[in-house]
Amino acid sequence: MSVYFPQKKLPYLLVLPQLVITAIFFLWPAGQAVLQAFYREDAFGLSQQFVGLENFVDLFQDPLYYKSMVVTMVFSFSVAFLGIAVALWLAVMADRVIRGRMVYQTLLVWPYAVAPALAGVLWWILFDPNIGPVALFLDRIGLHWNHFLNGDQAMILVVISATWKQISYNFLFFLAGLQAIPRSLIEAAAIDGASSFKRFWDIVFPLLSPTTFFLLVVNLVYAFFETFGVIDTTTQGGPDGSTNTLVYKVFKDGFIGLDSGGSAAQSIVLMAIVGLMTVIQFRFIERKVQY
Amino acid sequence: MTDLVLKNIGKTYPNGYQAIPSIDLSIEEGEFIVLVGPSGCGKSTLLRMVAGLETITQGDLLIKGNRVNDKEPADRDIAMVFQNYALYPHMTVRANMEYGLKNRGVSKDERHTKVMDVAQMLGLDELLDRRPGQLSGGQRQRVAMGRAMVRDPKVFLFDEPLSNLDAKLRVQMRVEIRQLQRKLATTTLYVTHDQVEAMTLADRLVVLNKGKAEQIGTPMELYDKPATTFVAEFIGSPSMNLFDAMLTERGIELSESLTLLMPHQYRGAIKWGIRPEHLLQSDEANGDFSLQVQAVESLGAETLIHGVLEDGTEQPKPIVVRLAGPHLPDIGSRMWLTAPLKHWHLFDATTQQRL
Ligand SMILES: Nc1ncnc2c1ncn2[C@@H]1O[C@H](COP(=O)(O)OP(=O)(O)OP(=O)(O)O)[C@@H](O)[C@H]1O
Ligand SMILES: [Mg+2]
Repeated sequence: MSVYFPQKKLPYLLVLPQLVITAIFFLWPAGQAVLQAFYREDAFGLSQQFVGLENFVDLFQDPLYYKSMVVTMVFSFSVAFLGIAVALWLAVMADRVIRGRMVYQTLLVWPYAVAPALAGVLWWILFDPNIGPVALFLDRIGLHWNHFLNGDQAMILVVISATWKQISYNFLFFLAGLQAIPRSLIEAAAIDGASSFKRFWDIVFPLLSPTTFFLLVVNLVYAFFETFGVIDTTTQGGPDGSTNTLVYKVFKDGFIGLDSGGSAAQSIVLMAIVGLMTVIQFRFIERKVQY
Repeated sequence: MTDLVLKNIGKTYPNGYQAIPSIDLSIEEGEFIVLVGPSGCGKSTLLRMVAGLETITQGDLLIKGNRVNDKEPADRDIAMVFQNYALYPHMTVRANMEYGLKNRGVSKDERHTKVMDVAQMLGLDELLDRRPGQLSGGQRQRVAMGRAMVRDPKVFLFDEPLSNLDAKLRVQMRVEIRQLQRKLATTTLYVTHDQVEAMTLADRLVVLNKGKAEQIGTPMELYDKPATTFVAEFIGSPSMNLFDAMLTERGIELSESLTLLMPHQYRGAIKWGIRPEHLLQSDEANGDFSLQVQAVESLGAETLIHGVLEDGTEQPKPIVVRLAGPHLPDIGSRMWLTAPLKHWHLFDATTQQRL
């Protein structure tokens, strides 16, 4: 459908605010990053030197960069998988609750209102090796917890912190998805002799697959790009880079390592990944998953 | 042998609503029973209790002599066709039909033969690899029936299976369902609110009203001898003309000036009924009463004449006459009618029961 305006200027005027915002907060910094990616700056920011593609060459020869990629993958898929699995389980349970349904559902949605950084702090306190109740409990059952020293434990901590909040979001989608499945389908399957376990895997889960796929993409994007706050308030990428995701590394190299060129080169790679994910998102989600 | 017995079956929903106070019904093997009644009278509730989808809160349900109240739907050996068909949208037609057999551990070869047999019977063999979304409404309806048939259950349950089809297809499927059921000789419980469907399909009809069985009998029994005014009005289309009257020694007094002669022992307030198709056109000399024509519906083979009874009172009493062939009386004109005695129906005005 196309709309024709009598005046030629009005449409441009109407999209102007959006364009201005995009220009100031995205295009300009992005342009700066692109420029910086081709320069090397000394640690005090006093001099700049054009180095061509050298920042990128350095980046792709840096084993730490590959390590960060692996960390990001492990982190993102863990967050997406855990978030989806727990939310699906909760939604299936909530769908069965009859009494006090509203209370249950509202409580499960609350965590989404908590800022990611706050969620990080919350879990950081719970798991603090010296005072955190969860850490103390784990110690008592013979599991020594110290995410400042143990990289795997640090990863578990950031995954839990990042997932926690996302569960609410996933839960809402799954609950809506479950409620959209006609009850008669489940009843037909019951008459067809399917146990409740089979009914879930043969009927419910396949019918939720469009929702699940949508959430997988959304959760991966979230874990990739929106978990800076969680990592910054808990592990700050440590210990020894074991939770240093690509996004956190951009910040760390740029502002702590003061390597603005390398950091800029990394953000360009990230922008490319964002672009790719957007394409995937449109390709598959717009077309809806067929079943 | 009785196949399905409902003994004093009742349903009270958890919110306290009593949908069905108590129903008794024995169904013979191979019988086609239709549950009919207006919306909300508890037809689906009753059917779903038989299916095991709704708990039975009172009474006993016996299938082939075994009490099945507490059995899971899967263990009752029934198959159900839902109003919205409830086909699994992500499975092919074949997978839909096979699913019940698969869950019961039927071997692959046997499943294949059974599905092919039923598919051929229903003309679905070309469609086996399609998904429900790629089928027309009528085809989906067939698949839903096929899914029920492959399992060869003891009892078929249908909940308004034709109500989503257009009128022509509905008639076609109605005939087909009846033929299939005869051929398979499977006991069938069929829910509908369409009295034509009910009349044409049923061996026996159960007319439900507010959860109570008003009458159980063959379609012709219900047509000829409706037990209550509710059944009288529900069965037959257009429905029976019913008038308030007094039964006295003189006969049936419809009003001060209109009395129909009839010897009867009963005295008191009654309802007098006659079906539109039983009224005959007459003339002033022979007619029992007259009506003033208000509207004429010409259907070609027959004509429906809507009018008001001329009984000497101001109160308009609507009456419908169904005449064979074309008729074109003027609106407002008078038409004389005779009402043959053998087609009269008398009901007690207070209990609404047939006299
Ligand atoms: N889960 C429920 N809880 C409480 N009342 C219910 C429930 N399900 C149905 N009812 C009530 O029970 C009555 C019978 O419902 P039912 O669905 O059996 O009607 P029906 O005869 O099938 O009507 P229709 O022709 O509209 O399908 C209705 O008054 C309905 O409101
Ligand atoms: Mg119903």
